[in-house]
Amino acid sequence: MTTAAAYTWSRDPGSAHVSADGTVTWPAAKLTPGEDDHAALAVAVAIGGSEGVVGVTLGAGDASWALARKATRAIVVSDAPLGDDDAATGAVLAAAARRAGADDVVVVGDSEAHPGVAPAVAGHLGWPIMLGVTSAQRIDGRVHVTRQVAGVEETVAITPPVVLGVTAVSVERSAPGMKEMLAARKRPVEKVTVAELGLEQRAALHPTTTRCPEATRARIFDGDPDRAAADLVAFLRSEGVA
Amino acid sequence: MGNDVWLIVTDPADLAVLPRVQNLGPVTALVIGDRELADLASRAVAAVQWIETADAVPAEAYVAAAAQSAAAATPRVIACSGAPASRAVLGAVAARCSAPLLPAVAGVTSDGAGVVVERTAIQGAVIATYRLTSPVCVVLVPDETAAGSVPEPATVVAAPSAAVAAMQVVSRVATAKASGLADAARVVSVGRGVRSRADLGMVEELAGALDAAVACSMPVADDLGWFPKDRYVGRSGQCIAPRLYVAVGISGAPQHLEGIRGAKVVVAINSDPDAAIFRAADCGVVGDLYEVVPALTAALAAAHR
Ligand SMILES: Cc1cc2nc3c(=O)[nH]c(=O)nc-3n(C[C@H](O)[C@H](O)[C@H](O)COP(=O)(O)OP(=O)(O)OC[C@H]3O[C@@H](n4cnc5c(N)ncnc54)[C@H](O)[C@@H]3O)c2cc1C
Ligand SMILES: Nc1ncnc2c1ncn2[C@@H]1O[C@H](COP(=O)(O)O)[C@@H](O)[C@H]1O
Repeated sequence: MTTAAAYTWSRDPGSAHVSADGTVTWPAAKLTPGEDDHAALAVAVAIGGSEGVVGVTLGAGDASWALARKATRAIVVSDAPLGDDDAATGAVLAAAARRAGADDVVVVGDSEAHPGVAPAVAGHLGWPIMLGVTSAQRIDGRVHVTRQVAGVEETVAITPPVVLGVTAVSVERSAPGMKEMLAARKRPVEKVTVAELGLEQRAALHPTTTRCPEATRARIFDGDPDRAAADLVAFLRSEGVA
Repeated sequence: MGNDVWLIVTDPADLAVLPRVQNLGPVTALVIGDRELADLASRAVAAVQWIETADAVPAEAYVAAAAQSAAAATPRVIACSGAPASRAVLGAVAARCSAPLLPAVAGVTSDGAGVVVERTAIQGAVIATYRLTSPVCVVLVPDETAAGSVPEPATVVAAPSAAVAAMQVVSRVATAKASGLADAARVVSVGRGVRSRADLGMVEELAGALDAAVACSMPVADDLGWFPKDRYVGRSGQCIAPRLYVAVGISGAPQHLEGIRGAKVVVAINSDPDAAIFRAADCGVVGDLYEVVPALTAALAAAHR
């Protein structure tokens, strides 16, 4: 049984520079994994099948990131670019997971920025999916996943194969140390191309234009603090909330 | 290809995004859920196809059947909110139709044979435009304007619902509601801009003057431990919908903002004019919270006199 953890690396939106005309540039080229990916990988490792966990990524995704977090091998689709179309990303990750022999659980970060990737991975594999998962365990051949829905903690038992979209509850608490990094270097990484996966090569989807949103909604009260406070209170009273 | 729009509905939140695609043409809702949800949809859209869920079977179990129905109709646009089960259907439809899937979409307009999709990107800093040939799958952001209701409720038609995936709810436990945040009409929330625990008294006085509950950002509960964990607001904490939310020294990280999407009036007090919280707020004061908070408390007292 092979469990897979699929993830992507992208630029941190916090490092983007937006000019007055809405043009976006990226002064720092640094890429990072999605904020939910560490939690997704931890879930994969917790329920990993007998064949261990294979890390699956594309484009500039760093295979050693998964290998240092207990994945036993990795596969990278090196010529697949990461664009804005979550279905395209999902198609490539699904094909790579299949190629890696995934036949059990495929875990994907259920990220706020790319909420369609995990669903598209499941769609392309033709497997069921559960999203918003925070933890999972294996009981009698089934996977029991836990998630929060509207003030309720729900546990669902699922018979694999299944895709799990995992939501992190915080930043990664313990990053791998030197020992794990060194061990990661010894683990195998397979590089494949889009063509080798039997997919057609496609350009990544990017916007034709970007612009700034209409003037910020916030009404700013300034001047000295007492003046600003009095104006703010008057505004809140006019809105009927104070 | 048809000319219509399909809306995947597994949660009332999906109906709340309807105004963003209603301009395109008649909307068919594909509902997975109970009768109540199907009836709710029938009062908002032109046609309803309904897959009834069985007890203890999550909507996700019906994704394959739902995707088959939606794809067979070859709609021009297939949409939903961020509701998990709805996104599951959308991913399956995108795969079946070889359609692109774009998140954070604010609007879709028709452009001859294709569509123009506008979405927010870079955490709301820009609006990005895409020209695509349909069909296209979109995850829509919530819309505050109410959807227009239809004159006559649509007839609810049962959709084929074979091929139920093997999944079953084994337990549902209500999580701590003790904090009372969920029901609070007014909330004052503490961020890391507050420098020490001793300064909380100043914020509590403001909350008192507003008759508000006190909440916080995640690090204030998690790292600093100034409040119990059921008091922090955000995607990993409480999602609340007060009439008034006052963010004191909170930067407005996207994970935090996710918890206050339902708030009516958002007020920000922050010394950094470029803080993201001002993009999400209705109004605010750029200034040192140590000056603004006491001034605000005094102004409220004066206004009540
Ligand atoms: C997977 C994941 C899930 C997360 N979930 C949540 C969540 O559910 N909820 C949540 O809140 N966070 C969450 N976070 C953390 C989130 O990313 C932010 O780190 C956090 O919200 C920041 O808290 P803050 O705004 O209080 O602190 P900071 O970001 O440090 O902001 C402090 C602000 O105070 C202002 N300030 C400083 N001094 C003053 C002064 N004297 N007067 C006025 N203003 C001042 C600063 O300008 C700054 O904007 C999550 C993170 C991850 C990775
Ligand atoms: N390079 C690619 N990137 C993203 N998606 C692709 C790519 N190639 C094919 N697909 C999708 O994968 C699915 C199967 O592709 P195909 O077998 O080539 O028709 C279809 O949904 C295609 O849209």
